[in-house]
Formats: sequence, C-alpha cells, structure tokens
Amino acid sequence: MSRSIVIVFPQWSLHHGQLGEEHSFREFEHVVRSVMSVSPLVEVESVGVIVMAARGPSRYFGGDVAVAEKLHYLCEQSNTNTPWGIGIAHSRFAATVAGHVSVVRQRPCVIDPAISQEFLSAVPVGSLAQVGNISANTVSLLQRLGLRTCGDVHDIGEVALIDRFGTEGKQVFRLVSGAEVRHLAPGAPPSDFATTIEYETPLSSAAHVVAHTRPHIDALVSAISSAGQQCTRLLITSETDHAEHNSRVWAEPRGFGAPAIAQRLLVQSEGWLSQADTDPDAPTSGVVRVQFTPLECREVMVTQPLLWGGHQENTERAARAVSMAMASSTAVQISVPQWEGGRDVATVYSRLPVSLVDLADAVGAVQRVQVGQGAARHWSGSVPQPSPALVATQAPHVRVTDTHDQPVVVTGRHELSAMPAFIYVAEKQYTVLRTGGPWPVEERWWDPLRRRRHVRMQLLVSHPHGHQLVFLVALEHQQWSLIGRYD
Amino acid sequence: MGSHLVEELSGKHSAFLETGTQLAERTRQRELTGFGPLVVANALAPLFVSGGLERGHIYGVTGDASMSLLFALVAPATQQGSWCAMVNMPTAGLMAAHENGVALHRTVCVDVAATSGHISNVLGSLVDGIDLVAVRSAQCSSAEVRRITARVKAQGSVLLLVGNTAAFSPDAVLVARTQHWQFQTHAVSRTVHVTAQGRRLHAQRSCVVALPHCHGGVPGTP
Repeated sequence: MSRSIVIVFPQWSLHHGQLGEEHSFREFEHVVRSVMSVSPLVEVESVGVIVMAARGPSRYFGGDVAVAEKLHYLCEQSNTNTPWGIGIAHSRFAATVAGHVSVVRQRPCVIDPAISQEFLSAVPVGSLAQVGNISANTVSLLQRLGLRTCGDVHDIGEVALIDRFGTEGKQVFRLVSGAEVRHLAPGAPPSDFATTIEYETPLSSAAHVVAHTRPHIDALVSAISSAGQQCTRLLITSETDHAEHNSRVWAEPRGFGAPAIAQRLLVQSEGWLSQADTDPDAPTSGVVRVQFTPLECREVMVTQPLLWGGHQENTERAARAVSMAMASSTAVQISVPQWEGGRDVATVYSRLPVSLVDLADAVGAVQRVQVGQGAARHWSGSVPQPSPALVATQAPHVRVTDTHDQPVVVTGRHELSAMPAFIYVAEKQYTVLRTGGPWPVEERWWDPLRRRRHVRMQLLVSHPHGHQLVFLVALEHQQWSLIGRYD
Repeated sequence: MGSHLVEELSGKHSAFLETGTQLAERTRQRELTGFGPLVVANALAPLFVSGGLERGHIYGVTGDASMSLLFALVAPATQQGSWCAMVNMPTAGLMAAHENGVALHRTVCVDVAATSGHISNVLGSLVDGIDLVAVRSAQCSSAEVRRITARVKAQGSVLLLVGNTAAFSPDAVLVARTQHWQFQTHAVSRTVHVTAQGRRLHAQRSCVVALPHCHGGVPGTP
C-alpha cells in the first residue's frame, strides 16, 4: 500500500485536443513541469492524469493537506481554466477516484488513512471501469449481480472473484481492497547516452557552439543507433562560465538525426545568447558546457519505414504534410491521380482534389489508381505503350508538312495525304525521321453533339543538337497539335 | 610511428580516408535507423555513391529525358512505401509514371503559384512528411533556398529539381540524354545515357539505361 497523489484533468483532451493529440500532450507538459517542483518523480499516466508518491512531498511540505494546497496553487497558475482535481489516498485507484470527486468539489480531496477503507467501500462499482482499467463487461456483470459499491465487491472475497473472473477478478479484488495494482513508474531513468561536452574557452556565438559540438553529436547519434535505438526526446542543457543554465526539451517523433540535433542546439543557443543584456536571464559569459540527455529512446524498428506494416506511418506523415501545405498557402491546389481510362493520353488519369479523398485510406487509394479498375481493357485506337512522359494540358498548335512544305492531312478513310517530313513547333523546324501510326479515333459517331474524330501520330524527329525526340501529335478539325512528348 | 603507418596502409586505421568496410558499416548503421538511402533501380544505382537517393540531399534532374528519369528514380521507393509529391508538374504524364512503376496511390500532385513566397512555404511543408518531393523550376530567393535546404536535411527527405536548378545548389545533377530510340511501327523504348556530377561526387558517374524498362531489377521487390 503506498499513499499516492493523483491530479486529474478529466476534460484536458476536450479543451486542448482540437489541434491533435500531440498538441494536447505538449500543452500538458507545462502542467507536468510545474508540478515537478513538488516532486521530481512524476508519472504521467495519460494526458490529463499525473500520479506521484505522497510520502516524500507530504513530509517535506508538512502534511497531505499542505501538499494538496501547494499543488492546487500550481495547477491554478499553470492551467488555462480546464477543471482539475487533486486526490490523495492510500492507493492509486482510491486517489484517482478522490481526484474526480475533487473536480466536482473544486478543492483537493484528501482521504485520511483512518477512513480510507470506508471511502473505498462507498465508491460505486462503475469507477472500476472508468478509472481502474477493468473491462466494461466485467463491471456490468458485477452490477447485474447486484453489487453496487466496491465494498459489496470486497465482501464477496478474493476466492470467489478469482473463481468467477480469473486474473481480472484478482485485479478487481486488489483495487477494492486498496492494494496497489500498478507501481509508480516515474520519469525515464537516466539515459546511458547522456553526453557532456566541455569547451576550454567560453564560446559566445551559437555557430561556434554548434561547430565545436558537431563531432560529439555525431558520436551520440551513432552510439544510440548502434544500440538499435533512436532518440525521440532530447534535453539540451548549456551552461556558461558563470554557471548560468539554459535547458530545453526537444521532441522529434521520427527520431533525431545528427543534423536535427545540431539545428535544435543552434536554435536554442541563438535564442539564449542573443538575449539583451537587460534581460535577467541573459548569460553574462560564453558557453563552456553543453549536455545532451536523451529522455526518450525507442526501438528503431518502430519507425523503420520499409518494414511490413510501416507504410501506414509514412501515409499518416504524408497526409499531415499535405494538410500543412494546404494551410501554408492560399494559392495551392493539391490533387491525387484517379484512373479514368480512355484513349486520350491526357485524361487517362484525372486529378482529384485532395479535399475529396482521405489520404490515410490506403485501400481506397489503391483502388483509385488501379488500371482498368479490376479488368484491364484494351481501348481500340489507343496509342501503344510507352506513354508520353509529358502531356500537354492545352496542346499547342503545330504545323506538319510534307517534303514540298504542303500541310499533311488525313482522308476520310484515315489515310495520310503524304508522309510527314517536317514539323514546326513554335516556329522551330524539326526533321521527321520516322512516323508511327496513324491511330484514328472515332468516338460517339452516333451523337451529333458529342462526336469526335481525330487521328494521332508519333513522330521521331531529330533535334538540332543531334539527339532524337519523339512527339505525339494529333490532327483534329484540320489542325495538328502537339499533345505529348516522350520526355 | 612505423607500426601506425603499417596499420594505416593496411586499411585498419586511417585518419582521413574511410575503408570499404568502414563505409559498409556506416551505411548499414544508417539503414538500421531508417535513414538509409532510398532505393533506386539496379540499373541506376551506379550513379549514387551509396547506391540510392541519399536522404537530405537535393538532386537536379535535367536533360531531354528528365521526366522519364524522374519516374524511374522515384518508382522503387514509392513501391516500398515512400510518398512522392510532384510540384508544379501539370503536364507530367501519369500514365507514363504508372508504366515506369511509380506507385500512383502514394503520389500527390501539387500546383502552386510559382511566385517565391508561396512555393517555398509549400515545399517546406511537403518535405516534412513526404520522402520524395519533385519540383519543376522553383523560383525562390536565396534565403528561402537556404531554409528549404535546411529543412530537407533535417527531415531526411529528398528534393528533386526538374529542369532549371539554378536557384538551388544541388548535391548532384543527373543529366539524362537520349542516345537512341528503338522505333519500329511505334516508339518502343530508348537507351538513355545518364550522367551524375556534383559537389558530393569526386568524379562524374554515368550509366546507360533503357527507359521505360529499367525497373526490372529493384532489390527487395519481386
């Protein structure tokens, strides 16, 4: 049994989650930071729930009530009108319940050791599911059995609960009897990779600091990566000759590489060293020591993008980047390809505005671009593969002529009037070496309004610089246009 | 001193040059951390020191076969899960991209006004989450170029500049020149001579590939 302090913010995600989970986490970090002035060993159970041991702080501040008042004051200072509650009781579960009670009462709820078992007995069974991590099925069964409070459940006895519910029954009994089910897991243990770099002479410019630290950063990163890990949260502390400190925690969900650490160090040092002299925090000397403390390292495998199942993370990152790009500028249009089919090289794939699709939906994306959507279909009259790598959105008009400089035309029977010899693109003459096609297309000949008749040809031409080019040209309404280039 | 020299000559210990095994070890370490180079087709691998598109680097892709080369470069990486953004390429032939093996379901097309403020913001956002960002003739001021370059490096993505690369200083410029078109009743395929040179390469590297059919030998894909 260990007396615990629990601070709960039941509506934290509701108030701060609009900009995503990461944002609400970051906001919560401020509260955690200020609470840590009471006890250095603090566990953030989830966003909105802080757990710490009561014994040390309580002795230091002179009693549970004094600690609770202190915490209440700290939360008031650091918090932006999100309701909170502070509970102190003889187990984590009881303290969490007390915390929720305290939210309603708007003042700390300290359960005296003398009445703690009574308090726990009066707690409704539903709390087991809400704050005790017991499955809702089990709790609902307990309720249907007529057990309303934790006291009722406790009276059944451990053996009966284990008989009926197995391991979970045991856990239920431990919760209702006030035993600790989960031990406090305070912040990350000191990292093996913490590195301290000392300079012989104080460095007064951020660029110098980074330049002198860079080899050590490389060593740090390679040490972490050779352990099969990558650092996602890093504490950078710099210290001047006059023992002034500046520290900041940096997070990088993809893991820090050496350039990323160097960049963070540069930003942090620049901000600190360039402070005005009037500022009380401004350093009065150059930096003599920089310390890197990796706060969070994780297995590299978690983010390795090439492993099976890793694609989804890439997709989520890409979706995030796309939405950022859309927000960053008004003059941007982002689209994704969608298979349409047809003979026209420019419209085989259309571009669907990204606002209409869910980028994270990998299955939908594959279906969207699947050629022929299941059944590959041959479009008669389509230009054979390979397709042109450049297709014109508005095909420029060109002139195709024969050896006598007469325009080449196509007869009603899709026969060429003469072999093309020259093509003029923007008044530039290319000599035609070979021709491919023609591929005639008669579309919707039965519909006088939508009928379309055109013919496509490939022309292998020689470029004045000596190499060869292939153009895809189309003749429609007696007018040749350059619809694609094999770039 | 003597023994040190022997060690250095025998490749065990070298102050300045990396031995082959050291390079291999370093490459392996980076691949382990997920920051290894992005895979390219076997036929194109000789163009790169590390055998693939180096993360955090900026490449220029020019020449008369630049688009086909671009598709061939990004295809294996997109098949293996990386995303690709094509910025300001409304004329890119998506069918050709598909034939070259680009996974179009991991491709986004971005069109943005080519004026400098807009495009640098958009590029900056895109490189944060998209591994391969290809952009045609980006007009950026030198300050924006520096910012984008730093962001590409920090995020470990690859920026491919198609056409005009003047504003940026690419780590390597790949020039694709058509050598010969195999033309029967229609254009079938061609051989393209690709050269790579830049400040990261001490000598020009080159190879001859058939486009669009160079995607036969991608390591790690069936």
